[in-house]
Amino acid sequence: MDYEQIDISGDVGIKAWGSDCAEAWANAGIGMYSLVTDLNKIGESRSVDVVIKADSSEGLLVKYLNELIFHFDTYNFIGRRIDITAFSEDSLRALVYGAEFDPALHEQRLLLKAATYHNIRIEKKADRCEVEVIFDI
Amino acid sequence: MSLEKLRRIDDNRLEVPKDYKPGMRTNGVIFVDAVLEKGLEPSCIDQVANVATLPGIVGSSLAMPDIHTGYGFPIGGVAAFDLDEGIISPGGVGYDINCGVRLLRSNLKREEVLPRIRELVDTLYDAIPAGVGSKGKIKLGPEAQRKVLVKGARWAVEEGYGTAADLEKIESNGAIDGADPGLISDKAYERGRAQQGTLGSGNHFIEVQYVDEIYDEKTANAIGIFKDNITVMIHTGSRGFGHQVCTDFLEVMAGALNKYRIELPDRELACAPFRSQEAQDYLAAMRAAANYAWANRQCLMHWTRDAFISFFKISPGQLGMGLVYDVAHNIAKVEEHVIDGKKRKLVVHRKGATRAFPPGHPELPEIYRHLGQPVIIPGDMGRASFVLVGTEKGREETFSSACHGAGRVLSRHEAIRRAKGRAIRRELEDKGIFVRSAGREILAEEMPEAYKDVTNVVDVVHSAGIARKVARLRPMGVVKG
Repeated sequence: MDYEQIDISGDVGIKAWGSDCAEAWANAGIGMYSLVTDLNKIGESRSVDVVIKADSSEGLLVKYLNELIFHFDTYNFIGRRIDITAFSEDSLRALVYGAEFDPALHEQRLLLKAATYHNIRIEKKADRCEVEVIFDI
Repeated sequence: MSLEKLRRIDDNRLEVPKDYKPGMRTNGVIFVDAVLEKGLEPSCIDQVANVATLPGIVGSSLAMPDIHTGYGFPIGGVAAFDLDEGIISPGGVGYDINCGVRLLRSNLKREEVLPRIRELVDTLYDAIPAGVGSKGKIKLGPEAQRKVLVKGARWAVEEGYGTAADLEKIESNGAIDGADPGLISDKAYERGRAQQGTLGSGNHFIEVQYVDEIYDEKTANAIGIFKDNITVMIHTGSRGFGHQVCTDFLEVMAGALNKYRIELPDRELACAPFRSQEAQDYLAAMRAAANYAWANRQCLMHWTRDAFISFFKISPGQLGMGLVYDVAHNIAKVEEHVIDGKKRKLVVHRKGATRAFPPGHPELPEIYRHLGQPVIIPGDMGRASFVLVGTEKGREETFSSACHGAGRVLSRHEAIRRAKGRAIRRELEDKGIFVRSAGREILAEEMPEAYKDVTNVVDVVHSAGIARKVARLRPMGVVKG
């Protein structure tokens, strides 16, 4: 697991990392999904193709995660694997593989309202990228 | 900023002075006593100060005793802005637009319900869609959804959920004017399509309660509250629809900051001048989401009534389950207030704060005008909830606002850690409170000690005089998402 939960009063966050930002962001998405349910019970019967543009790295990260939240909250799509197939400062494309969430079968953990800019952190180094995002629950 | 700069004004008020941090245009006032002050997080004090830096703020940046850290604005924050010089900020409303509470009264007595409370909670759990990933019984086509956004609770009544008599006991009669469905994104429409008539998760609930103490019998009886009678409280909001509206407009506002040369200490405070197109668009979209929420609580109330009627096999008349009042506690509203002896229109942001109009306010329905507005304050699921009424003092001091609940003290992780090895459900049952929840961990996250004691919070509001206690309600059965 290349992510962990961040503990804050009332809400919850995810810290994720990888050898580059594309990897860290993919892990942030999976970390976020792990807040919603037990991903061991989720297969890969569906996929979602997500394309995001924004005017800053922070904006891109927040919009990307909010797009995943939108697909969950609207279509019950929950991901377990993410390939970031294109990545730059202000745009990305992600292929998300997962399944339809079924409240009768899958564990119900947290209902995420949104990813926020609150204490958002993106740290890029030569061989490592680390991000932190707080979610409103 | 430094905590030593905080100044105690009196037993119930703490000042965040104007020199607490650079850029403050006014001071902050936090309504806390010495006990609640000890629990204040430095980050939420900072947020009270941040709100004081926003252009056009009128009066102080206020915080209610249930204050805790939010995004941009603190939860429990109240701030009013001038319509010409000031701003509107989605962060001053929150992601759950028109999250709110409604209270139902009934003729049932505690002793009639007590022996069957477990079955009753099961019945309500089956009647109300709740939990992560659950979808409602209502599917809204685009035309129907536009009607919901304009008509709010009135749409629900026209569809057969409840009666027209309910509407006058809802803030803004359950439908705030000026909602524009044309400003709603396709995404918000999509997200809201199957979520009308759903409870959600997190701190949302439906609770069966009894009236255990009355502080003001005349007012209590006038609003239908009698000792030992059963009440039901419903706490939910605009669900994914409102979250999407907030998400969409935070982006619009962030894009407009440069245009209007607004500098902010925190991106979650993103805002635009009240008269700007961006602000007016947000206001019209926020009103649409507020109406979605009023329709939602109306539908849930209708199913709750139906569940009681079939469960107890009594007539609607015998049950007498009428609405006491429905309040929004995450909303921005244009209201008239008296500032330095002059009437002024202001946009009042209440984020985790409840409107509390005094007796005589023209916006109150005839039946409550001489009493003041009922203010419904839910507590945690183990202790108590309260009914208060608005006061003249609140009008003078807090733009007619009071607290909205208990306010969290424990993080989710800490709550789960403390609950380890304990059976929270069992502990509540030992106190005579039966709980059903869709999620496994939700009971630990939402356990009573995760919250401040609502009694302390309400006592500060009452002692400060910004609202007045009428009755205390005790939980008997709770449905959680």
